Amino acid sequence: MAEWLFEIFSEEIPSRMQQGAQDQLKTLAEGHFQAQGLPFDTIRTFVTPRRLTLLVEGLPLQTPEKQEEKKGPRVDAPQAAIDGFLKTTGVPREKCLVQETPKGNFLFVIKQEPSHPTREVLPSIALSLLKEFRWPKSMRWGHLSMSWVRPIRGLLSLFDGEVVPFSYANVDASATTYGHRFLAPLPFEVKNFKDYEQKLRDHFVILDAQERRDLIRQEITRIAQEAHLKPVKDDALLEEVTGLVEWPIALKGKVDPQFMTLPREVITTPMRVHQRYFPLLDSDGKLAPYFGVIANIQAPNNQGKTIVIGNERVLRARLADAQFFWDQDRKKPLDNFNTDLKTRLFHQHLGSLFDKVERVSKLSSRLAEKMGADPKTVVRAALLSKADLASQMVGEFPELQGIMGRYYAQAQGETPEIARAIEEHYWPKGAGAPVPEAIPSLILGIADRLDTLMGFFTIGITPTGSKDPYALRRAGLGLIALCLNPRCNFSMVDVLEWAYEGYPWSELTAPTIKSKKEAVEDLWQFLLERFKFFLRDTQGSPYDHVEAVLSVAHDNPTFSELALRTQALDQLMDGKDGENLLVAYKRASNILRIEEEKDGRLYEGSVSKASLIALEEKTLSDTLETKSPEIQHLVQQGDFIKAVQNLATLRPYVDQFFDKVVVNTEEEQTRTNRLHLLAYLRKTLHQVADFSKVEG
Amino acid sequence: MKTDFQTIILKLSEFWSAEGCVILQPYDAEVGAGTFHPATTLKALGPTPWRAAYVQPSRRPADGRYGENPNRLYRHHQYQVILKPSPDDVQDVYLRSLKYIGLDPLLHDIRFVEDDWESPTLGASGLGWEVWGDGQEITQFTYFQQVGGFPCDPVPAELTYGLERLTSVVQGIENVYDLDWNGAQGDARMTYGDVALQMEQEFSAFSFEQLDAPIVFRHFEDAEAMCRHLVENKLVLPAYEYCLKASHLFNLLDARGVLSVTERANYIGRVRALARQCCELWMENVHG
Repeated sequence: MAEWLFEIFSEEIPSRMQQGAQDQLKTLAEGHFQAQGLPFDTIRTFVTPRRLTLLVEGLPLQTPEKQEEKKGPRVDAPQAAIDGFLKTTGVPREKCLVQETPKGNFLFVIKQEPSHPTREVLPSIALSLLKEFRWPKSMRWGHLSMSWVRPIRGLLSLFDGEVVPFSYANVDASATTYGHRFLAPLPFEVKNFKDYEQKLRDHFVILDAQERRDLIRQEITRIAQEAHLKPVKDDALLEEVTGLVEWPIALKGKVDPQFMTLPREVITTPMRVHQRYFPLLDSDGKLAPYFGVIANIQAPNNQGKTIVIGNERVLRARLADAQFFWDQDRKKPLDNFNTDLKTRLFHQHLGSLFDKVERVSKLSSRLAEKMGADPKTVVRAALLSKADLASQMVGEFPELQGIMGRYYAQAQGETPEIARAIEEHYWPKGAGAPVPEAIPSLILGIADRLDTLMGFFTIGITPTGSKDPYALRRAGLGLIALCLNPRCNFSMVDVLEWAYEGYPWSELTAPTIKSKKEAVEDLWQFLLERFKFFLRDTQGSPYDHVEAVLSVAHDNPTFSELALRTQALDQLMDGKDGENLLVAYKRASNILRIEEEKDGRLYEGSVSKASLIALEEKTLSDTLETKSPEIQHLVQQGDFIKAVQNLATLRPYVDQFFDKVVVNTEEEQTRTNRLHLLAYLRKTLHQVADFSKVEG
Repeated sequence: MKTDFQTIILKLSEFWSAEGCVILQPYDAEVGAGTFHPATTLKALGPTPWRAAYVQPSRRPADGRYGENPNRLYRHHQYQVILKPSPDDVQDVYLRSLKYIGLDPLLHDIRFVEDDWESPTLGASGLGWEVWGDGQEITQFTYFQQVGGFPCDPVPAELTYGLERLTSVVQGIENVYDLDWNGAQGDARMTYGDVALQMEQEFSAFSFEQLDAPIVFRHFEDAEAMCRHLVENKLVLPAYEYCLKASHLFNLLDARGVLSVTERANYIGRVRALARQCCELWMENVHG
């Protein structure tokens, strides 16, 4: 058994691509070794800013012999067919085997693929990996025609301690690699993976990203604790910084106290987004005038003082800019920024941002009335909702949209609800992110997304495949998440129509403008698709459960109702009762379908009590008679969990019925009555979901 | 003794001269970046190897701050290096140049942080990094992939040092106007502010207050017409110069705030069309 160590050494790989690259290399390598029939124990991959490394352990020194069986024509096939087979296999007739099959005797050839030294097949695997790898963005360099994320400067390839020779991108594979760019610039040789990992460490490179990540977390926490502080938890930042350094060294810098009066986000945004610093908090959770920075170098003697001073200077300059914008922006009331929105396009065929603000404001007002909220608050919040986009601060730090709107609204004395809605109408900011609880925020968020989605859908701009430049899928998911609030008691189709009516379509010059009916239908179908995706992601509902629920929901369901109903169905189908009930349902509906087809009629009549004979059918009928109205009532109350619990109690009666009672008897009246009973059962179940859509 | 502004320029020229670059002078028309110099834009296209280095004063009217902001300038200075084809050791050579001007990578935290570059007006793009020195962006490092819509083959490496920022890291100075320009003492001492403050103040006032938009709109039309005329008559370098003029005039109008979003996109498209025609003509000459 032996290991193959393969390192692709390049110029700095973008941090955001590193984790994906590590995963992709592993998947590709597994595929290749499996395709080659080469057994291995483990495949591991590693990534640092300058290298992508593959380690395959437990490889045989020799590839296994392979036997390949090729089936030919029947022994009594025409001679031409037999000759053809002999020619392609290169085996004479007398060496062919004859095997008996149910279709007659056939010629077979067993081809032996001899064993090769594993070393000989590795170069082609290495080259395939290099060629098949797909970076999110790649480039050419020098005179070369191949592409990689950044120029490849070294290839290390060792099998069982020896170099596996091959060349790619003008680089010959060798046993040599490099350590830290500055701390250990000279190349060195390695013998195997253990040696490689250790020597990298000796040369100031931590190979394992997980180890670097843990170290960074610990170190930032340690320097924070020295000043009785703690770092803000920020996994995305941690991940990014892990991909920026091979040898993390944590340093603590000071924030110039004169800037500490700026809003918290205004201080932390340049820190995190532009400088990749970790903001530090005091014991009350308040922002402290310090930051943590991870350098990629251990400076001698002065312990990184130069580096800290440099970083403090850069932050001071950025905060000085922010201070300037903060002061300038507040000189002007928010309402005035709306003037600038008149010249900013929302979309070339959908008018300006100001037009959007006006539409959203009207739509918010209609929603507020419907939901029994105060229209004045939402209309004012809507009017100010995009004003901060024209502020200097948001121009410089786009991440602060909404947040600055809140601060500027507060500063000019708007009510807390209005200020809050301006910020929160952008929520949720991603899958699983918080959803606003305040009603004005909720309404504004819904109106904004409805307006965006309806606008684009009406002019025929819809997401296709991987293309979704206006992030409409995200808007759809956000809209659904918001509409799950029980306060959203409106019919979705109604509000889609309102959104359509908000646009002055006759004045717009888009090449395509769909009719209201078509646009509403298209968007509604899109939202239902998104809804299935949403429920699978948030509560693990399988698609078929959502389908089953959609199929029986009335024409204008609310998302919260659909979600609760699906959740109830999930719960039912999780247990034995659901499973058995489904079997019984399928049996009942199969019988009904067959008999209805045969007789050319539907069995929808009511059960005649007098005609019930067997004890089991009487019991089932009685049970349905009590349970069905109860379930109907529960469904109307929106208590789907109780409704399915009631459904589950039907199970033993249904089971006994099928055990003891024959539906298709000779006696016609009894048969009809039993079919009616089955239809009654089906109808009862359909009050919750269409079980024919549920996969067993 | 911290290296002064002009010595950094001299040393960079010395360094890149020794690396086989022709040392050029700045392009003598207003441009927004060193990339716009024909020694980069046009020379990046075609098969001929090319190495050049030069200072380029770069005008960004929208960044003018009347000399009151410590790090934003109407006109800053770039040191531009173009190496075609990109050498295998280009990163190492670049890092040696930092050492040569007094920026020791063992004392400072130098990092290559992803930053792809794109110029909508030039129809140009490339992949690379911004190079950080202690958290300050000091260089834009780009492997050009296309210019004027044409793929670059071979691929050039472009190094654009931001001279003010680089000097502020080297000198440890915060406010650009306090940078030591000439390294002299006493009366002979000149700071960045001594040399450049008046220009910042006056040109900010010009572009934000006194710029007469109708005149500049007219100048844009003229520059565009001249560029097209020169393209038709196959004079690529003069044509390109008028494309640069149109580009700068657009920047002025943009800073003055007289372009709506749609108009802005429209003007960018017009400049890009000119740049594309110039590049096409250049490629014809290269291949013809």
